[in-house]
Amino acid sequence: MISIHNIAKRYRTDEVETTALNGLSLEVKPGEFVAIMGPSGCGKSTLLNILGLLDEADGGQFLLDGIDVSRYNENRRAELRMEKIGFVFQNFNLIDELTVYENVELPLLYNGIKAGERKKRVEYVLDKVQIMHRRNHYPTQLSGGQQQRVAVARAVINQPAIILADEPTGNLDSQNGNEVMQLLTELNESGTTIVMVTHSEHDARFSHRIVRMLDGQTVAESVLV
Amino acid sequence: MLKSYLKIALRGLVKHRVYSLINISGLAVGMAVALLIGLLIHYEFSYNRFLSGYDQSYQIYVNESVEGAIESSNAVPLPVANALRNNIPGIRYVAECDWMQRHGLMVGEQKLYLSGASVGGDFLKIFRFPLLQGHAETALSDPYSIILTARTARALFGDEDPMGKSVRYDNRFDLQVTGVMGNIPSNSSFYFQYLVPFSLYEQSAGWVRASRTQWENYSFQIYAALDPNASREQVSSRIRDLIQDNSEGKVNFEPELGLYPFKDWHLYNEFENGQPSGGYIDYLQMFGLIGLLVLILACINFTNLATARSEKRAKEVGVRKAIGSKRKHLVTQFLVESFLITSLAAVLSLILVYAILPFFNDLANVRIQFPLDQPLFWIVLLVYTTLTALMAGSRPAWYLSSFQAVKVLKGKITTGRGTSRGRKILVLLQFSSSIALIIGTMVIYRQINYVQQRPVGYDQERLMMTRMTDDLNDNYQVLRNEMLQSGVVESVAWGSSPITSIFSRIEVEHWPGKTGDTPAGGIAFIRVTEDYFNTLGIQLLQGRNFHPDWQSDSTSLIINRAAADRFGLEDPVNQTITLQGGDQGTIVGLVEDALMISPYDPVVPTVFAHGQWGASMLYRLRPEVNTQQAIATLSVLFNRHNPTFPYEYEFVDDTYAQKFRLEVLVGKLAAIFAALAIFVSCLGLFGLATYLAEQRRKEIGIRKVLGASLSQIWLLLSREFIGLILLSCIIAVPIALYFIQRWLAQYTYRIDIGPGEFIIAGLGAVLITLITISFQAIRAGRERPVESLRVE
Ligand SMILES: Nc1ncnc2c1ncn2[C@@H]1O[C@H](COP(=O)(O)OP(=O)(O)OP(=O)(O)O)[C@@H](O)[C@H]1O
Ligand SMILES: [Mg+2]
Repeated sequence: MISIHNIAKRYRTDEVETTALNGLSLEVKPGEFVAIMGPSGCGKSTLLNILGLLDEADGGQFLLDGIDVSRYNENRRAELRMEKIGFVFQNFNLIDELTVYENVELPLLYNGIKAGERKKRVEYVLDKVQIMHRRNHYPTQLSGGQQQRVAVARAVINQPAIILADEPTGNLDSQNGNEVMQLLTELNESGTTIVMVTHSEHDARFSHRIVRMLDGQTVAESVLV
Repeated sequence: MLKSYLKIALRGLVKHRVYSLINISGLAVGMAVALLIGLLIHYEFSYNRFLSGYDQSYQIYVNESVEGAIESSNAVPLPVANALRNNIPGIRYVAECDWMQRHGLMVGEQKLYLSGASVGGDFLKIFRFPLLQGHAETALSDPYSIILTARTARALFGDEDPMGKSVRYDNRFDLQVTGVMGNIPSNSSFYFQYLVPFSLYEQSAGWVRASRTQWENYSFQIYAALDPNASREQVSSRIRDLIQDNSEGKVNFEPELGLYPFKDWHLYNEFENGQPSGGYIDYLQMFGLIGLLVLILACINFTNLATARSEKRAKEVGVRKAIGSKRKHLVTQFLVESFLITSLAAVLSLILVYAILPFFNDLANVRIQFPLDQPLFWIVLLVYTTLTALMAGSRPAWYLSSFQAVKVLKGKITTGRGTSRGRKILVLLQFSSSIALIIGTMVIYRQINYVQQRPVGYDQERLMMTRMTDDLNDNYQVLRNEMLQSGVVESVAWGSSPITSIFSRIEVEHWPGKTGDTPAGGIAFIRVTEDYFNTLGIQLLQGRNFHPDWQSDSTSLIINRAAADRFGLEDPVNQTITLQGGDQGTIVGLVEDALMISPYDPVVPTVFAHGQWGASMLYRLRPEVNTQQAIATLSVLFNRHNPTFPYEYEFVDDTYAQKFRLEVLVGKLAAIFAALAIFVSCLGLFGLATYLAEQRRKEIGIRKVLGASLSQIWLLLSREFIGLILLSCIIAVPIALYFIQRWLAQYTYRIDIGPGEFIIAGLGAVLITLITISFQAIRAGRERPVESLRVE
């Protein structure tokens, strides 16, 4: 499903050059649930952004479903994102000016789905993440856990093959965090590939495999189950 | 405290450079435009008011009812002067005057041909032009005296003292210089270069003497000064019926006299219904409005950018409030900031105006000086800057200071829907006025163009005119032959009017098929030679031209089409008409209409007669000759036959173009101001788009993560503005339409307004908006989403 080889990423800011990723390679198979762990600043978010086509690597190979996407331009990346990938962020990244319903509907709008179909699908996922009763609220009126559930709903609405989650429980208490992890597990069981960054050993245990990173490289892997 | 405010404000300026730049340059342009227009208005209002006692000075004018309309004219009968002097209480001084035409002045070898006035002895008491030498009381008492302006004196006598010296006038009289007056400033309605006594005019021309008792001969100008305690209304009512009372029923058209205030000559130069009612003042008002508008547009930029930026400043406000700042402190702080920006803009605008004033003076044909040495100017500037600062800064100050500390610190303040609506209304205001200005400018240009394209009925190409003197009349035949033989001209003729104006109008008392008793008034009467029509290229439609021998043809008349229409004559040839005074003439020919006076009005009905004395020589250069050489050749011939005058000539197309001067000027100024208004509005829009894009940067990032394409982001950011611009168009159309129709109504010959201008202006505005906004939208759309998501 995802195959990256020897990926590098450097940031240059006013004389300081940071190597965020340093020749990293990773394979993710269809249907897998991978957790990525490591100390702060080791490059986890950078890796996830590259996997999600939000950012470009400086070198290395990136095959998505067997296709080399490392040379794609922004417009084709946007298409691919829409088609294949869903995101869940630590800080939810909901649009404050739109209601819960509208936030979740947005990817469908960009995907050109018809109104009737949109309504059905939005209501289905909102129901699934148990936020239906808040559909007309604005994000600022919800608790963190509720917001993250909306974000998950929005990530899955296009039925992406892959979900990328960057510390999805980072801003949540354990109760809310568990609810979100439960949701991700259910998604995985129904066939969605998941790559999740986390600092929590507890959350990592929901996955099939833990990849540990240090200074822009993978240093260890442990297979669960 | 103030120092700390200033320090913070200055740091802010430097930190937000783009913002400061947009603000300061926009305001500077707005202030410069308003300042320039202010100076222009001040200058135009200073016209004629620099003379002491200007308030009591008047010109006598006459209203006549011609075919239901009142026509006003400053040509009045001469006996009015003595009647005013002797019989009307409240009138202090009266002065007769001629038409201030050009005459020859000669001292030794030095020949000049300058405009001067023949004026009654009290002229300088009515218009108190100060004399540098001589006495105003007595300088014009002897008929053979002359007062020169300093410039004329210098041109004639160099550094010598001119007083008591002799000047040869029109090569007929030797006049003694009895006074030297200061040069006439540019903001004066008078433009004469010397004064001679009216008594000389009377002595030298029998017809002028005869006019002293002719109440129906409207050939003179008369000026008067009132007693300081007399009112215009009182005196007006006393003089109103003077002509009718004295003429024993001999005059037609119910003439009524009126007083035309000296101070209004320049600004109120058009008459409506017998009263000076408008004219240049209308354009000044329009420019004043535009100046204010551009300034307001610039202030709107400031206001909009400041409130748009307010979210960024909300935190600052919250912190300040948390540490005990009162609202009034905050208001002061924001106003200090606005004052600082406005002051910088004011300085910049002074520099701008200073730099463009010379060009503006040339363009607008004015002599405005930058009054940097006048304290009043600086006071006005200070007040102006303060008002601008308040106008621009009060809304943001009020809005920003109203944030609640708790909310902003918790990050709960987002763009209030209210402020964004307020911003939209302001943008709407900017764009509707800009669009209305574009439409107006385009209509002005189209009208000017339309009138310039109007067929004039004769051929202007290479056509020249020279005013005829006595010598030129005496030597005409010889000169004409020599001109034709010289090979530079193809034909020569003369008329008793130049082709670009009408010197004489008459009444036609009777014509075949006339109904009622009133004669036809205002008919142009022009005496011409038999070469006149073919020299000018005026087409003969029916009948014949005049015979070369004018004496055998002295009762023959040729009329133009407008005259035939006026008399209702289908076949005018061989019809007989009776002119003013009872002379009968037979129409022998009908010619095409030629446009002699206003290109905006219908052609004047004209009667041509064969004559002996001309006022304007008309001749056409051969197409193959070089103009410079032709003039050199002609000047030798003219100097030989007109030895006491310099050779002077006009090209008819240049003189004709003068008729569009005001309209072309208005068009140019309107175009410049419209362009600046749009520039200022776009600057504001650009700033606003920058802020909105920045403010929505994160949202845009999220949308891109969710699959929005570049064009979708572009649409997201542009949609609102496009809607606003379209709405602006809808608002602009009726406003523009109202002003345009009012403006066009003054022209008889005018364009019809179609949808063209409106569509072009609307599309133009949308296009400009799109370009302005797209710059930001595309930048935002191309950004990698990871960049924008990092913004916290
Ligand atoms: N835009 C950027 N400019 C410069 N340096 C950056 C940028 N983004 C990340 N970095 C640097 O790259 C390295 C990796 O950052 P990254 O965000 O991937 O770490 P992380 O593993 O996600 O950390 P955390 O667990 O704290 O989220 C860090 O040293 C960071 O400072
Ligand atoms: Mg991270």
